[in-house]
Amino acid sequence: MTAKAMPFPKGEFQEEEDPQEHLLFDPRPREEMNQMVMESMRSTTGPFWVVVGILTLLVLVCLVGAWVYMALTGMGVAGVRRPTYWGMFIANFVFWIGISHAGTFVSAILRVFKADFRRPFTRAAELMTAFGLVVAGMYPLIHLGRVWVAYWIIPYPNSRWLWPNLRSPLTWDMIAIFTYLLSSTLYLYLPLIPDVAMARDHSNGWRYRLYRLMALGWRGTEAEWHRLRTAIQIFAFAIIPVMFSVHTIVSWDFAVTKTPGWHSTIFGPFFVVGAIYSGVSAVVMILFLIRTTLANMKYFVREEHFDALGKLILVFSFTWTYFYFSEYILAWYGGDLSDQYVWDALTKGPYAWLWYTMLICNIAIPWLTLWNKRIRRSPAMMFAIGFIVNLGMYIERYLIVPGMISRNRFPFTWDEYTPRIELVISVGSLSLFLLLYVLASRLIPLIPVWEVHEGQTAHTLRRIGKTVVPTKSEIE
Amino acid sequence: MSEGTIHLALFNAIDPAAEAIGKLRELGIQDKDMSIISSVPYSDRMLGRPMSWTFVPKIAIGGFIVGLVISLLLNFGTPLLYPIRVGGMPYLPIPPTLVLTFEISMLGLMFATFLGVIWESAFPSFGPKEYHSEISNGRIAVVFSCPAEIHNQVHDLLVAMGAEWVHRTEATEL
Repeated sequence: MTAKAMPFPKGEFQEEEDPQEHLLFDPRPREEMNQMVMESMRSTTGPFWVVVGILTLLVLVCLVGAWVYMALTGMGVAGVRRPTYWGMFIANFVFWIGISHAGTFVSAILRVFKADFRRPFTRAAELMTAFGLVVAGMYPLIHLGRVWVAYWIIPYPNSRWLWPNLRSPLTWDMIAIFTYLLSSTLYLYLPLIPDVAMARDHSNGWRYRLYRLMALGWRGTEAEWHRLRTAIQIFAFAIIPVMFSVHTIVSWDFAVTKTPGWHSTIFGPFFVVGAIYSGVSAVVMILFLIRTTLANMKYFVREEHFDALGKLILVFSFTWTYFYFSEYILAWYGGDLSDQYVWDALTKGPYAWLWYTMLICNIAIPWLTLWNKRIRRSPAMMFAIGFIVNLGMYIERYLIVPGMISRNRFPFTWDEYTPRIELVISVGSLSLFLLLYVLASRLIPLIPVWEVHEGQTAHTLRRIGKTVVPTKSEIE
Repeated sequence: MSEGTIHLALFNAIDPAAEAIGKLRELGIQDKDMSIISSVPYSDRMLGRPMSWTFVPKIAIGGFIVGLVISLLLNFGTPLLYPIRVGGMPYLPIPPTLVLTFEISMLGLMFATFLGVIWESAFPSFGPKEYHSEISNGRIAVVFSCPAEIHNQVHDLLVAMGAEWVHRTEATEL
């Protein structure tokens, strides 16, 4: 059989992607990019202040007010009672820790692997990490009830000879979260320095004073860049195992107990995968909001970024499903009565409606939609999918915490958990996260301009034969 | 930089800036009397400059060791100082100790990395320095000091090489 030369069908070339659809192949002068980012920070319209006002009110009433009320009245206003002493507060804690994984994943792991599509949204993701941890860090305090004695957790010698056990998972939690919060904040701040120096050069008044202070006297000399890049590399490599450890330790809060459903060796990696899954989905939601509400952001945050993140979400959906099924089938096959009670409660008991909703949100919808490139490239669709995945992941945390603990080894204590003031405080904490993010969007450059500029410098279009090929130079 | 008038030349692109550095060297200006300021990191090799060194990795390792020592003291020292004996439990168990040892050591590493950058760069430093706000708009500045007798020669050379602006510069507040 001889090969026959056939012309390309009509339209074949029309479907080829225009390289200039990609941010890194569509460069603009640095001055223009700076102006675009500065304008996005300066423009505060009436609706912006309305949103800020509503969020502030929600924080004051639902978080501060409800928390103070609970502290003064007692934990009786919450839904936690025998046997469910860990309720929605702990589920929220796990959820927000999970959200905080997005920044490290998107920024550090993609940086280590030199995935250039990360460039315009690393900071948006890192901010999620910082604010997610702030919210997550509040929940153990809220859960304590008597928050004014929270310092008892801190290991220090005292007159009562109370020395908290450093080998307790709860102490691990406290120190791991502190490590992660501090390192994420520093990792957010280091690459921010050149951008706040840019903002300093383009500002006056109070903004100039703020950015001048934050820029620490940055000029951009060779030595400064060399140190900064070295430090960013060290952080990128070091923060990845810390990220893994934090959520593993959170999972061990549960897994080291003998509670049915919790005592599992797979909990560590399962929690980590779930955290990245929900975190990346949350990044998609944030990017959609940034793109639609901030000026000039359509240039920086493009369909290609939603496309890439959509693929990541799909991969993590597969991985999460694999872990969840492994967890389920071993408990099901093992036939241990205590485990069976837990899974019966989840699959055909009082929590079944939540369990099936979770499966639809975390498996069915991502699998049915994200294989499609058109859907992945639609920011609005991706926002909707990101929301659904996060809803599913929240339900997963809810089922793990109050769901599983309500079916312990003592059937005579079984009871259903109904959240009460927890619902109000949850709304307040979500509002706090959004408020911090909305305010930060007007104070710091959400786009790492120097990283985008660097990426655009490294990417060029090169003609090879009859076509133009995107080419990347290794300049990092 | 050695004694002499400090000049600042602004270039639009990296190629002429790198060329200019070579020419300045030919005129007898040493590398230690030159500095490049840019809004994007360029490697030493791109600029034709001697390799930069930094102590940040060593400082980071130092921080890791300090964190390790603190964590070992906390894990092993405190049960010895404040003993709480629980029947059947090992007094100094290794596996749960590893968790905090890892966390505190990594905290030490990252905190030291950050402090290393701050310390080596002498940050914060708001005092007068040679700078031009156009640098953050993508221009590349070559800052150098040269003797007064070759000033005009250097100026003409850099302008011929495409420098947009060459001037004696005075340090300004950042």
